[in-house]
Amino acid sequence: MRAALAQASLIRHRARTVLAVLGVAVAAAMLLDMVMLATGMRESFRELLLSRGFEIRLAPKGTLPFDTDATIPGVGAITATLRANPDIREISPVLGASIHILAGNRDVSGSALGIDPSVQGDYELLSGRDVTTPDAIVANDHLLSQLGARVGDTLSVAAGYDPQTRTYSGQRKLVVTGRARFIYGAADQSSSAMRRETLEAMGGQARDRASLFMVRVRKGANAEQVRDWIDKQLPNVTAISIATAIAQVDERLSYFRQLALILGAVSLFVGFLLVTTLVTVSVNERAGEIAVMRAIGVSRSHVVEQIVLEGVAISFGGAVLGLALGLVTARYLNTILSAFPGLPMAIDFFLFQPKAAWSALGLLIASGIGAGIYPAWRAASLPIAESLRREAIA
Amino acid sequence: MFAFLLASLLVQGSSSVGGAPATAVERQPRTIAIDETLAARAHLKVGDRVSISALPGTIGDTVIVGAIVRRGADPSEVARGDLRVRMHLDQIQRIAGYGDRVDRFAIATTPAADIPRLIDRINRVAFGFNAYRSRDIAVETSRTFQVVSRFHRAIGIITIVASSVFLLCIMVLKVEERRRDIAALRLMGISRATVVRSIVMEAAVVAVLGSALGVALGWAASLFVNWHYQALYRTPLEFSMVTPATVVFAVSLSLVLGIAAGVVASLRLVRTPPLVLFGR
Repeated sequence: MRAALAQASLIRHRARTVLAVLGVAVAAAMLLDMVMLATGMRESFRELLLSRGFEIRLAPKGTLPFDTDATIPGVGAITATLRANPDIREISPVLGASIHILAGNRDVSGSALGIDPSVQGDYELLSGRDVTTPDAIVANDHLLSQLGARVGDTLSVAAGYDPQTRTYSGQRKLVVTGRARFIYGAADQSSSAMRRETLEAMGGQARDRASLFMVRVRKGANAEQVRDWIDKQLPNVTAISIATAIAQVDERLSYFRQLALILGAVSLFVGFLLVTTLVTVSVNERAGEIAVMRAIGVSRSHVVEQIVLEGVAISFGGAVLGLALGLVTARYLNTILSAFPGLPMAIDFFLFQPKAAWSALGLLIASGIGAGIYPAWRAASLPIAESLRREAIA
Repeated sequence: MFAFLLASLLVQGSSSVGGAPATAVERQPRTIAIDETLAARAHLKVGDRVSISALPGTIGDTVIVGAIVRRGADPSEVARGDLRVRMHLDQIQRIAGYGDRVDRFAIATTPAADIPRLIDRINRVAFGFNAYRSRDIAVETSRTFQVVSRFHRAIGIITIVASSVFLLCIMVLKVEERRRDIAALRLMGISRATVVRSIVMEAAVVAVLGSALGVALGWAASLFVNWHYQALYRTPLEFSMVTPATVVFAVSLSLVLGIAAGVVASLRLVRTPPLVLFGR
């Protein structure tokens, strides 16, 4: 009965109801996008860091991984120290450098990682074989397309470029043994990997150095405790766990979270205001009708429930439409933010999680109920006789 | 002409080094300038002694904090957590092991200088470096902000769509609320055109008043945003600006939408017979 009356009231003013639902839908879309932005970025980054199971990273003191050209000396000694902790399962030292590859008359530059293929966590091999020999190199599709090279081709790779003398410290013939997808690489980045000793030999710098260590802890071990232990044992490095890395990224990207919070709150308020206005006007118009219902014995609670139901129906209709609209706009906004220079391909600013959708829907339904309360209270407290008299005179 | 060298350095406060001895080369401590973020995080003030080294665990140069400086309004540095120390070129070259090298030279030109010709001339004789115009470098380094700007524009479009629907909805409701007044006017012989004009005028006044309130709110929000983010990132950069062009755009858009909503809503009503509007 209450639902039927609420439905009849909404259908009576179709244009008004459609406009209100549309308004709530746009607000809901914005709300969903902002909830996705606030939570998705962090979740996406966490998934990226955990994708290869390395819970701790060691970077040169005071830096973030690959934030500067600084390197960590004494790879052998650091590895031996880390192996003394039974909670540490695997250690992957990584050396980063810029390389130049001669392709005909062109000089194509890119980044190279020096790794140990048995424990590396930087790339996934898409085809071919890994860098099992010192003269092997794997590259991503971007670099291969720039070079016009394929798996099996031999490349002339140089590192340690000195701009003053225009010479390289090391140059080698390397065979492309595989195609790889670099997990932390940007979409437009030319990336490659080779054995660490190969890159060290080409780099011309002091041996036994790494830009980064990735550490995998034993299952069930507390990564934070291991991180604290590393901090004490190795004062020359900064140990970063997933939690600290997320906190650092949060700090750098706090702007987006705050923007999401502000715009999400504004969207919710606009939706609330729209539904309140609509239902209040509707109640004012139907003052006589409500007075008649009250006069023939319909209870106050019945009137309140009917009015609140109208608000919830508009909010729910708008929310369902808005969630679909929100997914489309989120994809568009994500495409814009994906163009951030140096952002890993795998990072999504707007990550859809069912929890986000339920949160947005829950907030809208709650605001719909809240929006119906004031007009419902007004409707329930209308003086019956006076309202009927006014209606009769009108 | 200025020469710049950038290097990762380790700064240790005087409390942790406990009056580390000056090296043989630097008997008299020299002064450095640090940015206010570093000063705040390391609890440093002018006159404090600190030890600076390129590698952790090594004995560095003892220097005196001579100045605490605020960073310039550079968009590319806003979200970076770098802590900056400015020191004498020869000292950083020695500490970082760079020798007689720098990362870049900044060249100030006379107002009448032909910049493209000058750059071309430098590049022809240069060996191992290239000359660029500052504004070209600024374009490259502000790519992050270009992305943020595109994102803001997209959010702005969604907001405009939302506010358009909201305004239309409110105007329709406002006009429909006056069904009986309009019916009475029509029965008294007032023409449809007059009714439409009066409603449109009312809609325009509401839109202008609403947008004036919106501009005031936006201006206050802009002050808050600038205050908050300037304090958060310790930068004089303006994050939000209410310009005359923005105000004109907002008021014009609101006026157009208000008038359109008024026209749509009033036409719907004047086309309905007055007695139907009365509910008879």
